[in-house]
Amino acid sequence: MSDGGRAYRFLGTWRAGRSNWKLQALSVFSLAVAFVCLASALLVVTNLAEVRDRWSRAGRATVYLRDDATAEDVQALIRALESTPGVQRARYVPREAARNEVVSEGGDSQLAALPPEAFPSSVELSFADSIDDMELSVMALKLRALPSVDMVETYQKWTERLSSLLHGGVTASLFLALVVFAAVISVVASTMRLLLERRRLEVEVLRLVGATRKFVCRPFIMEGAGQGACGAALAIFVLGVLYNIVRGRFDQQLATLLGVQPAFLPWQIMLLMVTVGAMMGATTAWLSLRKAVKL
Amino acid sequence: MGSALGSKRSKLRPGRRFDASAADKPIVVFEDVFKSYRADRPVLKALSLTIERGEFLFITGPSGAGKSTLLRLMYRSELPDDGTIRFMGRDVARLKSESIPTLRRNMGVIFQDFKLVPSWSAFENVAIALEVLGLPSRVIRARVGDTLERVGLQGRGATRVSLMSGGEQQRVAIARAIVGEPALLLADEPTGNLDPQLAIDILGLCEDIHDAGTTVVFATHDRSLLDVRPRRVVVLDEGKATDAQDGLDAFDWDDEDDSGIRVAV
Repeated sequence: MSDGGRAYRFLGTWRAGRSNWKLQALSVFSLAVAFVCLASALLVVTNLAEVRDRWSRAGRATVYLRDDATAEDVQALIRALESTPGVQRARYVPREAARNEVVSEGGDSQLAALPPEAFPSSVELSFADSIDDMELSVMALKLRALPSVDMVETYQKWTERLSSLLHGGVTASLFLALVVFAAVISVVASTMRLLLERRRLEVEVLRLVGATRKFVCRPFIMEGAGQGACGAALAIFVLGVLYNIVRGRFDQQLATLLGVQPAFLPWQIMLLMVTVGAMMGATTAWLSLRKAVKL
Repeated sequence: MGSALGSKRSKLRPGRRFDASAADKPIVVFEDVFKSYRADRPVLKALSLTIERGEFLFITGPSGAGKSTLLRLMYRSELPDDGTIRFMGRDVARLKSESIPTLRRNMGVIFQDFKLVPSWSAFENVAIALEVLGLPSRVIRARVGDTLERVGLQGRGATRVSLMSGGEQQRVAIARAIVGEPALLLADEPTGNLDPQLAIDILGLCEDIHDAGTTVVFATHDRSLLDVRPRRVVVLDEGKATDAQDGLDAFDWDDEDDSGIRVAV
């Protein structure tokens, strides 16, 4: 494109934005509201995925012992476990140690008030990465059959629940993405029609001086792209501010609850949102003007 | 003006039906053109008219006679119902939509209501005619500056046209029409909103443009302008174009009557 064409592409958009900034701002705000919903869902999904990965990588299990298990039973169990393929480590945690761990991790005064009898003694198992879910299930089944074992927690159900929750989150995000796409199309198309009506004289002048349809539509398309990108960027900014406020107040609680530090949207997702916003804005503008602008 | 730059001016693409002798032919030819907006009231009826290159032509007639329609047909804002309109040998009605911009780049058009973008400066309103051609910014700046000076608006480029007087606005519109050095200048009642002295000034400006080699078609219903200098005058009468070779005394009309019915005296 020549210098003059480039000049008009930017000047035309600038002139238009200058004279219709309120309409443009309203459009960007409407798009930001839609994008905030999508970005929030993506933020939840991102963190859920992190939690699920954390739990699925845990590679550990807890064998809770019966109250009447003797020291000999425990030693025999630990020896048997340590010689089992796939088990890296078996650590005995007596009642007092279990209580101390829970109290120091949670910092909860009500938990601290509980007697040591409330906490069962256990054996904490660490597994090699090579052990799969099926082997873990079989091992848990065998352990449960032992007379000194009360219960075996493999944490697989948590992972399954998180996976299910994550699946629901992804479905919700896809639905929200459709809503956002519909919102972008509706808002940008309406804005373009209004802008075209407001700038009817400008378009007529362009036609008279021999502008091509592409030339006439270009500033509108750039404005559509700008609205989409700005709407997405504004949504990310607003969500980022809210995220930092929430994280500042509940960071420790969230970390304890989830087992991972909460994270904001990865930059790739943010870039994708802005890019998709711009592309959808531009495409919608082009489609809505294609028939409206006649030479 | 800008002869070195003139070579960059867009020309009608000759295409396969290029006629090398077109340069010697009339610039515009209407042949049996019909146009009506309502079936019972045709505006143009078998109108035939030839405009030679380098001519200064007045089109006159009362309101509703079809002067604006005639001009709109030339720059392909309207299509004829029947007949042929040729511009530089090309049938205007049969141009593909992608060729229409090229046609219009060879014409400059000025209007009674100026058709300027009020929020833009005089410079921006004129420059747009060159921006569509994709010329470099420095060339645009130079040519717009020259043209504004030519129409008597030197130093007024930065002024928003909404802050200008009617006469100045019409000069900006003329500058926009001629900055691309078109082969044909169409003026559609350009003095309709101006007082008599300004009207004569604008007519003088159009004559200067004509003297520089541009064909000018000046549509007006103001008979006083026709007497300023002797020019070819075509009267639109009952949908047909008639050369007023014997003067306008053969024609009389009531300007308030826009029914399209002419009364020959």
